[in-house]
Amino acid sequence: MSLVRLEDVTKRFGQLTVLDQVSLKVEPGEIIAVIGRSGSGKSTLLRCINGLEPIQGGRILVEDDVVNDPKTDLRKLRQKVGIVFQSYNLFPHLSVERNITLAPTVVKKMPPAEARKLAEEALARVGLSDKIDAYPDQLSGGQQQRVAIARSLAMQPKVMLFDEITSALDPELIGEVLKVLEALARQGMTMLLVTHEMGFARNVGTRVVFMHHGKVWEQGPPAQVLGNPQTPEMKSFLGSVLH
Amino acid sequence: MIREVNSLDLLYLVAAGRWTLALTAMAFVGGGILGLAIMMLRIAPLKPVNWLAVGWIQAIQGTPLLAQIFVFFFGFAIFGYKVSPWVAAGVAFSIYASAFLAEIWRGCVEAVPRQQWEASAALGLSFPQQLRYVVLPQALRVAIPPTVGFLVQLIKNTSLASTIGFIELTREGQITTGATFRPLTVYGIVAVLYFLICFPLSQWSQHLERRLNVAR
Repeated sequence: MSLVRLEDVTKRFGQLTVLDQVSLKVEPGEIIAVIGRSGSGKSTLLRCINGLEPIQGGRILVEDDVVNDPKTDLRKLRQKVGIVFQSYNLFPHLSVERNITLAPTVVKKMPPAEARKLAEEALARVGLSDKIDAYPDQLSGGQQQRVAIARSLAMQPKVMLFDEITSALDPELIGEVLKVLEALARQGMTMLLVTHEMGFARNVGTRVVFMHHGKVWEQGPPAQVLGNPQTPEMKSFLGSVLH
Repeated sequence: MIREVNSLDLLYLVAAGRWTLALTAMAFVGGGILGLAIMMLRIAPLKPVNWLAVGWIQAIQGTPLLAQIFVFFFGFAIFGYKVSPWVAAGVAFSIYASAFLAEIWRGCVEAVPRQQWEASAALGLSFPQQLRYVVLPQALRVAIPPTVGFLVQLIKNTSLASTIGFIELTREGQITTGATFRPLTVYGIVAVLYFLICFPLSQWSQHLERRLNVAR
């Protein structure tokens, strides 16, 4: 059974159709790089999967839960679907530890000692064990983004969504975040990434999805899609990012 | 029996200032608790509840405070409930403060970036949990200067309680004027006493605001 399934999903902002009957299946362990020009709907696609954006047509399933069914408990669903944002969105008034333990203790009612251990483990996975007592404003952008990943991991999601998480980083900080993603990929985490890092998509991705005008325009194994694009739109996109 | 203004009058005026402070404290605490609740209703993700809060705020901000005081003092008397000036003033001022504090604090909550709501929602937090753990702590920092600013307004407005026989600073001034027939001197003293209470608070509010802007 697919972990995530989108069936003819349509999303509009007023008159503007952002997602136009998009269908996509994500199998457990897949690492899907979603690429495309800005405004092609790739970030919206991600945000619809955990219910941050309502959809106007079609169906989104995460395991057996229908995301767009009003009866679905979105809070339960979001424990299965982690998301990391471009702008980190750490809680600035809380320490790194509390940023990570907040949801486990408050949402899952985990005892504080257990949550602390969980935070330590999550920070070890992103290589920031020594920053557990720091505050977000004491960290570099790359470190903040790694904490944001740890925060999401601590909820033990089944699938992780990454929304252009390296786009706001200085070039020299991108590598450390991509390394964390690679490690997650090796551990078998199911991931959907909106990214502009074509090298990463090629080397780590199991599938590349190219979006254009709110549609899945082309998809397939990275080597094939990136190496031998079938559509003129894909060719032109690759031309503009890979020159 | 007209006499000079003497030091005893001054002492009485200062003593009456306590009741100005007591009424302010009552209104601030009562209005604060009520205001927090109204603010939450105002921003809760449920339209009918929002309208209820908007109605409350508009009704109170759109009517004179003096009229509100009269409603509680004289209005209840009509129906046979005898209300003391203390209760009438305490209730009227709390309700008055609740509407203004709710709006001030809503502004502060809306100053917290939308992404903080999103990030906490994505982690599975409920609306009350988002407020309590993520949004309110961040809004609090921004809220202190305007809240202290409103407190100064509230202190001065308690003078309206004098109209229903609540003996605070202004009412004591009226009584003293009645005995001495020296309105300029007496109300001059009253004004100075208000100033002595309000000025330090205004300064503190400005200081907090400056510090907040530096910290940004």
